Amino acid sequence: MPRILLLSIKTIIGNLENLFAMVKGSPPALAMIMSDRNNPTTQTFSLKDVIGDGFLWAVPKHRRSVEKRLNRKFGFPEYVWKPLKEKRNLRSCLKCGHEHELGVLCSFCYDIVRKETHQMQEKIQESLGVAPIDQEVVVLYDGENDLSPEALKGSRVVEIQKPRPMWFTKNLLQKSTQQSADTKEVKPSDLG
Amino acid sequence: MNQADVSKLMSQLRIAVRSNKRNLKNPDGPEGRLLKLRKTVTALVKHERIELFYNRADEARGYAELLISNAIRHGDRHKATMELADYWLLEKQLVHKLFKVLVPRYENYNVSYTRMFKAPRDYPGIYYRKSVLELRGNPYPVLTQDNSQNRNLLHNVLLDEARKEFRREKLASLANKLAAETEETPKPTVEKATEV
Repeated sequence: MPRILLLSIKTIIGNLENLFAMVKGSPPALAMIMSDRNNPTTQTFSLKDVIGDGFLWAVPKHRRSVEKRLNRKFGFPEYVWKPLKEKRNLRSCLKCGHEHELGVLCSFCYDIVRKETHQMQEKIQESLGVAPIDQEVVVLYDGENDLSPEALKGSRVVEIQKPRPMWFTKNLLQKSTQQSADTKEVKPSDLG
Repeated sequence: MNQADVSKLMSQLRIAVRSNKRNLKNPDGPEGRLLKLRKTVTALVKHERIELFYNRADEARGYAELLISNAIRHGDRHKATMELADYWLLEKQLVHKLFKVLVPRYENYNVSYTRMFKAPRDYPGIYYRKSVLELRGNPYPVLTQDNSQNRNLLHNVLLDEARKEFRREKLASLANKLAAETEETPKPTVEKATEV
């Protein structure tokens, strides 16, 4: 019994509250409609009407100055310079005249040396094979058999069947006298 | 002062070695890196001049220097050095070369045993720098500039003077010879000219 009594009291209080609420004003769900009815001239602006299902990107708020724009485009010379810049570390080779970077071998001269080196390495490896290596290697070009046996003692001779390149000569001195040629001088005749 | 001589305890290399090792990437990890370096050291001892990327060359150079230096200091009767040579040289005929050829060659050197140059690369080419690594005293043509023909070098100045002296003497003797001949046969050419 007391439970039924309690329930009935609760319902009565609830009804009373609803009554008072009606007197105070409309409940929040109905407030908009009510106010519209009161002031029909004011129009509500809703973003939802404009966007619909889409969304908005962020947009710049302030204008970017000319200096900033130029810096962004070209960089700043002392920090990051985006356009092409000249190389100041190029020098011309004293031997051949080709340009090369400072501190780096000249590409033209090195190419010549590399080709010769590869040929020599091939010949040396052919000659040495897989036998234990216990002697220094001496490379002799075509027609270089004038070395004394003492000079070649204790070294392995590898011969290359071609004349020694002019730029790779062991002789650092110029010849002071020309060797006498085999040909004979012929004096011109019938010159009067 | 009862101190041990440091130079006898460890090898003093004549090159600047970085305190930390390079992070040479390899899919096989540290073992792969070491295998790659062993291949490089082997190739260097075998061919005496190789061209490769700068980082690996510089990394391998330190190991090659250490190997040669240890071989010179301890010789081939030292077990640890022989194991080191066996580890770093993949082709075993080069172990002979190390002790029989390179040790005598470098015994009295007071500079580094290897040399490294920056090699040229095509512009713009690939990003990695290239280099040439070589053993000193190799039989190949030199990579550095040959300045022996510079006429301002002392030996070239002296040789030039000697050459001039030689020519002067030659000319003087020729002139003497001619003078002697003209005295014996008085002016045959002038007579001919007058006849014509």
